[in-house]
Amino acid sequence: MANIISVKNLTKEYGSLKAVDDLSFYVKEGEILGLLGPNGSGKTTTINSILSLLKFNKGSIKIFGEEMKPDSYDIKSKIGVIFQEVSVFDELTVYDNIDYFCGLYVSDKNTRIKYVEEAIELVGLTDFKKFYPKQLSGGLLRRLNIACGIAHKPKLIFLDEPTVAVDPQSRNSILDGIKKLRDDGATIVYTTHYMEEVEILCDRVIILDKGKIIAEGTIDELKKLANIEEKVTIEAYNLSEDFLHSVSELKNVLEVKYVDGLLTISFGKGKSNLINIIEYLKEKKVDYNSIFSERPTLNDVFLELTGKDLRD
Amino acid sequence: MYFHIFINSLKVLFKNKMLIFWTFIFPIVLGTLFNMAFSNIEKEEMFNIIDIGIVNDDNYKNNQAYNMAFSYLGNVDDDNRIFNISYGSKDKLQDMLEKEDISGYLYLDTTAHIIIKSNGINESVFKYVVEEINTISNGIQELEFRSIEEISKYAISLMNSEVKVNDTTKKNMSYTMIEFYTLIAMTCLYGATLSMYSLNQILPNMSNKGKRVAVSPVSKFKMILASLGASFITQLIGVLLLFIYTIFILNVDYGSNIFLVILLAIVGSFSGLALGVFVSSILKKNENTKLGFIIGITMVYSFFAGMMGITMKYIIDKNMPIINKINPVNMITDGLYALYYYDTLDRYIFNIISLLIFSFILIFISFIFLRRQKYDSI
Repeated sequence: MANIISVKNLTKEYGSLKAVDDLSFYVKEGEILGLLGPNGSGKTTTINSILSLLKFNKGSIKIFGEEMKPDSYDIKSKIGVIFQEVSVFDELTVYDNIDYFCGLYVSDKNTRIKYVEEAIELVGLTDFKKFYPKQLSGGLLRRLNIACGIAHKPKLIFLDEPTVAVDPQSRNSILDGIKKLRDDGATIVYTTHYMEEVEILCDRVIILDKGKIIAEGTIDELKKLANIEEKVTIEAYNLSEDFLHSVSELKNVLEVKYVDGLLTISFGKGKSNLINIIEYLKEKKVDYNSIFSERPTLNDVFLELTGKDLRD
Repeated sequence: MYFHIFINSLKVLFKNKMLIFWTFIFPIVLGTLFNMAFSNIEKEEMFNIIDIGIVNDDNYKNNQAYNMAFSYLGNVDDDNRIFNISYGSKDKLQDMLEKEDISGYLYLDTTAHIIIKSNGINESVFKYVVEEINTISNGIQELEFRSIEEISKYAISLMNSEVKVNDTTKKNMSYTMIEFYTLIAMTCLYGATLSMYSLNQILPNMSNKGKRVAVSPVSKFKMILASLGASFITQLIGVLLLFIYTIFILNVDYGSNIFLVILLAIVGSFSGLALGVFVSSILKKNENTKLGFIIGITMVYSFFAGMMGITMKYIIDKNMPIINKINPVNMITDGLYALYYYDTLDRYIFNIISLLIFSFILIFISFIFLRRQKYDSI
């Protein structure tokens, strides 16, 4: 597959602060690339530099094989952007907002009507066409924001934290919509600090911290970077210090945490960790309400690589 | 594409209640208040016929100059007469003066005496007229000692220096008109709120919508042209509504050169547009701060141009003329004033050119800033 975006040695400085530090990466046609990192890691600055909204200090950016500049209108006509902040006119209805932004790309009125209707359907705003933005809930507003950015059927879509402060129902609707856009052939760059979304959506992930790439690869590739193989969480109350100490001495156990009645045991390599711990609990006659096992998350990867939590 | 942006920009402006209030409703409300306040003042200041008395003894009857003058000035058949004259004895007239039936009375001996009870406009006019008659009368009496040539010259000068007391308040144009002129000018300048808002919507460092517009395949120039075009049209509609309201509802007379009045309003609106572009591109503040700044500076401009009383305009013109020379509200007000009062268009054209220079300087500075601008956010 061809590279839709090629970024080489991108550097953006604000005075003495390097917001983006010598960043190089690519985005392949048809994939969803996740840019994951905590707030202030340089995700938005990277996107804005790619879109020529920012003048960067060093590096080169190519989109669809051509150098991206502020007046690259051919390239811009194939791009859709959904910004972190809701960017719609309060004075226009849902339909008119989508029509206005779609009209910046599509001149033909009949085509535009079709595209606008499809975008409204995609984000699930059919019942709210005549509503004004102020009449919409936060989740619906986010959906409108997305519709305004994708109505013209772009080949490359940038989504910058589109699900911030969104209710679960709207979040699911938005994520389903993004998958559909990918299935329809769009290439997507998705920035977020929600690792769960990245795991659900992205084919490949770049993890950023302090403007630098600290890890890159598929979800499985990244998870291998974490030492832990499995995490077991047990809901049990009034566990003694001696018991907790004895658990930490078990085979393959890397770390034991006990907070608010939840015992979290991180295991390194090894199989049957869950069965082993259940038998150990039975042996020690420890009562517990529930027990479950999970694979390491990207947050664990981030923790492993930076020593801090993604949401710090 | 241009038409699409233009139409939607119009929709946005017309649906923005705050902007519509300042550019459409506020001037009409202010105009109505002016009309209510100033129409009463004007009624109070209408020139009334002054009741006076003259002691018609032999001294008066034998003084031809006074006889002729007061016969003319108190002619009951003339609607424009100045005086309503009661003739009688000194005692009778003194009695009338005490009862305030007359503002004063005149009696003659070797010289003219005016008896008044208080000082006011009526008394001043009476005194002024008597002094004028006295001066002319003395001049005529001296003629018998002069040569024929001098008499001829004096006669010509008298003919050319006809003394008239005109009631200027009966004309449509009055000093309160300056308030309506500044109202029109202020409305033109309020167009700045529209252009500021329009520009803010399409600049990436001003609004989120601007970022979305900036990543679209529409050139900045086309975007600015369409948006400002829409704000200018909206502004002109606002000014037109104000004209219609003041002319047909408030009965304000802008004179016979209505097309030149409209031309001045169009140029004035253009300067308002330029002010909005300037504020939007120079001031790195949020939209409400910019709106407040425009409204504030327009009110100050209007104050200096005489909106809250013409005295301020006179004070500024006399002591700090440069302020009103660079004050666009004053340029518009002065242009309208000149159009009404002067037969030549020199002063009107000067104001039109001043407004255009003012506008192009602001646009030029804004253009430089807009070219330099880059969006910066971490």
